[in-house]
Amino acid sequence: MNTLEKLQILSGAARYDASCASSGSKRESSSCSHGNASQSGICHSWADDGRCISLLKILLSNDCRYDCAYCVNRCSNFVQRASFTAREVVDLTLGFYRRNYIEGLFLSSAVLQSPDVTMERMVRVVEALRREEQFGGYIHLKIIPGCSSELVRKAGLYADRISVNIELPSQASLQRLAPQKERAAILEPMALIGREIASSLVERHVNRKAPRFAPAGQSTQMIIGASPENDFQILRLSQGLYKKMNLKRVYYSAYVPVSDDNRLPVLASPPLLREHRLYQADWLLRFYGFSAEEILSDDLPFLDETFDPKTAWALRHPEFFPVEINRADYATLLRVPGIGVTSAKRIIAARRFSAITPEGMKKIGVVMKRAKYFITSSGRTFDKLDRTPAFIRQQLLPGEPIVVQHSRQLVLPGLYLSQP
Amino acid sequence: MKRYLYDGTSEALFSAISWILEEEAEPEKVLLAEQGLTLFDEGFFINTNTAKAESLFQRLRLRAPDAASTIYLFMLAEQRGMESSLLSYVSLAFAHGDRVNGYLTHPAVRDIVSIAKRAGRELHRMKGLLRFEELQDGAYLAKMEPDHNIIQPLASWFRTRLRAQNWFLYDVKRCTAAQWGNGKLQFGTIDQFILPALSEDEKRVQLLWQTFFKTIALPDRKNPGLQKSNMPMKYWKYLTEKQDKAMI
Repeated sequence: MNTLEKLQILSGAARYDASCASSGSKRESSSCSHGNASQSGICHSWADDGRCISLLKILLSNDCRYDCAYCVNRCSNFVQRASFTAREVVDLTLGFYRRNYIEGLFLSSAVLQSPDVTMERMVRVVEALRREEQFGGYIHLKIIPGCSSELVRKAGLYADRISVNIELPSQASLQRLAPQKERAAILEPMALIGREIASSLVERHVNRKAPRFAPAGQSTQMIIGASPENDFQILRLSQGLYKKMNLKRVYYSAYVPVSDDNRLPVLASPPLLREHRLYQADWLLRFYGFSAEEILSDDLPFLDETFDPKTAWALRHPEFFPVEINRADYATLLRVPGIGVTSAKRIIAARRFSAITPEGMKKIGVVMKRAKYFITSSGRTFDKLDRTPAFIRQQLLPGEPIVVQHSRQLVLPGLYLSQP
Repeated sequence: MKRYLYDGTSEALFSAISWILEEEAEPEKVLLAEQGLTLFDEGFFINTNTAKAESLFQRLRLRAPDAASTIYLFMLAEQRGMESSLLSYVSLAFAHGDRVNGYLTHPAVRDIVSIAKRAGRELHRMKGLLRFEELQDGAYLAKMEPDHNIIQPLASWFRTRLRAQNWFLYDVKRCTAAQWGNGKLQFGTIDQFILPALSEDEKRVQLLWQTFFKTIALPDRKNPGLQKSNMPMKYWKYLTEKQDKAMI
């Protein structure tokens, strides 16, 4: 089999992994090296599904020993199998990098004979890239659950980001759909990576030349819609991962039906809207100061399909509004539907010069479509808007908003003629 | 309202701004325009003084470094007819320092900042969307037609990234080029461009990349609208993965 055929099989098998970020790591290049890493991350292309391509995302092999029901590469599935040699991956990465197709490499793999054998082969690839080829670009390496901690440590020294996939939101689902995977074997390396990152940061405070351990942090991914967990459970899990394990990102991947296994739900199409709402809620957790318990509760375990989670929260909390844009602090501004991180910062920067008027809001680029129902400017409301939650709900529903006819004062002809 | 004129070069623009800031009490209330651009060329012509222009920029860099880089990006946009806005912006930058970029309710600040942002966005985009092709002599060539004149900052970016290989950057629209080789970055213009022969390996690598591009997309999630909004079609002309004729 030639490299082209292998690439076709092994990139096709890797496309279900959602992660594509190339940010969070900065590496200068030296005179003889290839490439550097940019703090902001750079997208190099966008595939036909609209997702960005920044890394050469491939599996080292799809020849899997495991039989996870939700996965295309499960051993009971009839697909063509292929494995790259280390040299092939190195040449592909460098060939693409030199032409500026990619920001670096994302390497994952199916489980070969054992987790250790697999992980060792993956580490050997990135070792060759970093040591022999002086490759300075971005590397994201998957950790195979169950491999030795020595290999995890080695991986963290070569890669910018490492990740262990949590796969499914609960132990029960994991047992049912991926019987060969154990939750402990997934959480253990996560915790190890968290500790190593923390201690490397401390060391680098003392000695700037101390080796960096996964400078772009760790991430994980879970499949949405293949198991019965509700959004509240998922969000609480993510919250725990961010807080306790110090993860940089949790990726949610809408389950794409790849099997007619009777353990899996029958879906007409992947639950993309649910995935989208979960990402919105995830952003609220990470950048907006919300907690999972504020967004959802046991009585309300699923995210609203019609409204984004922040609007849904605002509609449930009319007592919080209206927010005065010329006085409210950053955290309060962030709670207003329609005002995001950028807008909140702009409002704060602009009001240092003068009070912001409704026109001013538009000028500084705040989208008022949703925000206007929830704010005042110098005590005045925007337009003459009714502010009952029921009315706002009506207005914010997708589709045409209802045009409100303000009752106008009627003037009878001739009534005021006698006055000047 | 007082009108001032300058000869259209960027040096003249900054020396004119420097002159006005020194001589005028209320620089926000005067007009500055390029000579010969309007029918009624009435106004006071300011002569170019390179030293003055440089000193203005140096002082601005010390007083408001963010504003100085905003102006740098603004100049990449090659926007004409905005001299008066730039004048107000510079004067506000000296008054308020870097905070000026937050003064978006001011029309001049908003105009300058939004144009600079657009240029910065394209610069960032091209860092990802530029495509090099390997030539027969082992050097690499990338062609582009960006809206903004970003060849200088883009070339400095690739100087640190692809420093181990020789490469050329060619702006087809402006006929300018950058060349990196032997540890030196040079800029110049190209009158007549003849595409050099590609290396033997080039087609093979391009085919690999096109194949990867095709298979990495999830067929169940096709979304051409999202693809186009992230990667506008004006950039497709030089994208290896969008050259359909080479597809098998």
